[in-house]
Amino acid sequence: MVISLKDSLKLIGIIIVSFCAVFVCTFFLNFYLDASKLEGAITDSEIIILYDAQMATAKFTCAITGGFLALIAVIMLIFYIKLYIDGHSKQLGILKAMGYSDGKIALRFAVFGISVLLGTALGFGCGFVIMPNVYKSLTIDGLPHIAITFHAELLIALIVAPSVLFSALAVGYAYLALRRPVSEMLRGKTEKKLKNRKIKEDKERAFLVEMLFKTLGGRKSLAFFIAFACFCFSAMIQMSVSMLDLSTVGMGAIILVIGVVLAVTTMLMATESLIRSNIKNISIMKAFGYSLKESSLTVLGGYHIFALIGFAVGTVYQYVLLRVMVDVVYKDVVAVPEYNFNVSVFFITLAVFIVFYEAVMLFYTLKMSKISVKEVMEEN
Amino acid sequence: MIKAENICKSFNNGTVEVLKNISLEIEEGEFAVILGASGSGKSTFMSILSGLERPDSGKVFYGNEEITSMNDKLLTDFRRREVGFIFQQYYLLPHLSVDKNVRMGADLAENKNYREIIEKVGLADKLKSRPSELSGGEQQRVCIARALAKNPNILFLDEPTGALDEKTGRQVLDYIMQMKKERNFTMIMVTHNANIAEMADKVIKINSGEIEKIYKNTSPKSAYEIGW
Ligand SMILES: Nc1ncnc2c1ncn2[C@@H]1O[C@H](COP(=O)(O)OP(=O)(O)O)[C@@H](O)[C@H]1O
Ligand SMILES: [Mg+2]
Repeated sequence: MVISLKDSLKLIGIIIVSFCAVFVCTFFLNFYLDASKLEGAITDSEIIILYDAQMATAKFTCAITGGFLALIAVIMLIFYIKLYIDGHSKQLGILKAMGYSDGKIALRFAVFGISVLLGTALGFGCGFVIMPNVYKSLTIDGLPHIAITFHAELLIALIVAPSVLFSALAVGYAYLALRRPVSEMLRGKTEKKLKNRKIKEDKERAFLVEMLFKTLGGRKSLAFFIAFACFCFSAMIQMSVSMLDLSTVGMGAIILVIGVVLAVTTMLMATESLIRSNIKNISIMKAFGYSLKESSLTVLGGYHIFALIGFAVGTVYQYVLLRVMVDVVYKDVVAVPEYNFNVSVFFITLAVFIVFYEAVMLFYTLKMSKISVKEVMEEN
Repeated sequence: MIKAENICKSFNNGTVEVLKNISLEIEEGEFAVILGASGSGKSTFMSILSGLERPDSGKVFYGNEEITSMNDKLLTDFRRREVGFIFQQYYLLPHLSVDKNVRMGADLAENKNYREIIEKVGLADKLKSRPSELSGGEQQRVCIARALAKNPNILFLDEPTGALDEKTGRQVLDYIMQMKKERNFTMIMVTHNANIAEMADKVIKINSGEIEKIYKNTSPKSAYEIGW
């Protein structure tokens, strides 16, 4: 069968994302649930202020990381399945031709939910491992020591529910994506026919120019994924630096580390898919005598604009998100933390981003140039 | 003249020996067929001859130029100047029209009259079609046009009719022979089909990575005279 456990394990990006999300949420939510038992027992008004602020921070951190990371995981998963179906359209077409129904094939995609199960389970476990330290650092002077209790509802909310949901999502999306004529799939047609708003073919446009335009136009999903990865990079790094101020420093540091890991993971995943889905075209061009520079620039160069757009949107997004969350979550809390747009962080992130993006592209292009043209062409 | 000297190639860290000390010569303007069973190493040999891949040892000369000692940049330049390819699996650019696929070859030689070649292979009315909208025979004719639009001195063909039925297969071979007559390039074709070998000037028979024999056909047949 075409889809195997190995394919699921290849979803390292999703494993990492779900690990991070659940890791952070586990100890914060657990702390939140345990600490909320104290409510009403506290009488000292100064301690109540501290206590409220801390509960708000826990809620805040969970909402931001959990919500944001869940969104990333969803997009990554959908994108991965799309690439998988496009890349295996012939094999899947043969299964359909042999009489497997769309539903039956789509059901196999449930195996992708396993990567989420793996990530969330690991995250949950690790969350519990560091929980004693978290509790210690979060306990307010003057309050009784808070004991760690196990909450079964968290187990369900953070592991079972996401795994089931993601499996269902994978099956549902695969089902929709598979509903195409067998003949088209066997011919290896990927994107649906772009009848309307097709980029006008310029009769006299040189090949390299045409290639640049058509590669971008024909692979909207890839352009989107690149933009999305850059969006994540921009949003996560800037947001986690702000969290250093908004959350406790220790938690802020954890979130920053997670932010960097995720930013790098999504970028690597996106650039790798970009290169992987274009490597054949680059190889054909190389075989005919176009230089590596010509081939890779025409195929990859056009994505720069999407990368920058993604970065810009990410910057705006994280600002708005933090602004709204600070205003809403800390509404009733006396000690509202300061939050302003951090200009120097913005420029530093932008500079790091540009260097990182170019370096990754260059790295993959060079790595690719080591593979002989024949090898690329022969692997199907 | 193309000369290969003692070419050896193995895969998987030397465990799979694919080419064992192959030497041969091919004259300018000659039509040579490399004949051998599936898995005998023909495609590997062709990619070494054409500068797509490097041998583990041995040399390939074009005239006095040794391509096996060139760096990647020089090798790319060499392919740009000298060679054209036609593959069994076509390898057309799926998102570009017939016109632009052929132009990919044409631009390399700054060939402005490439549409003539598209006409010659009978695809003038398909200029705007995408490869996936064409039949196998039509796709292979686009490949012929693409390869010839760059005015190669040597044309390499790897099982060009391997995916085609008899009628379209003969037609494609006939187109290729017509073009060869007109332009007189050197042609090296890989095939497992002994019938097709009867069309060649010279046949190099390969068996498990070794040359079994090399012989010349005194009167090569046409695409419609051979068996299938
Ligand atoms: N990149 C590669 N890695 C490992 N083995 C290879 C590779 N390319 C070819 N081979 C092996 O070399 C042998 C000859 O392959 P090939 O040259 O494609 O044969 P032919 O074209 O005559 O069918 C085959 O056994 C094949 O499995
Ligand atoms: Mg072969």
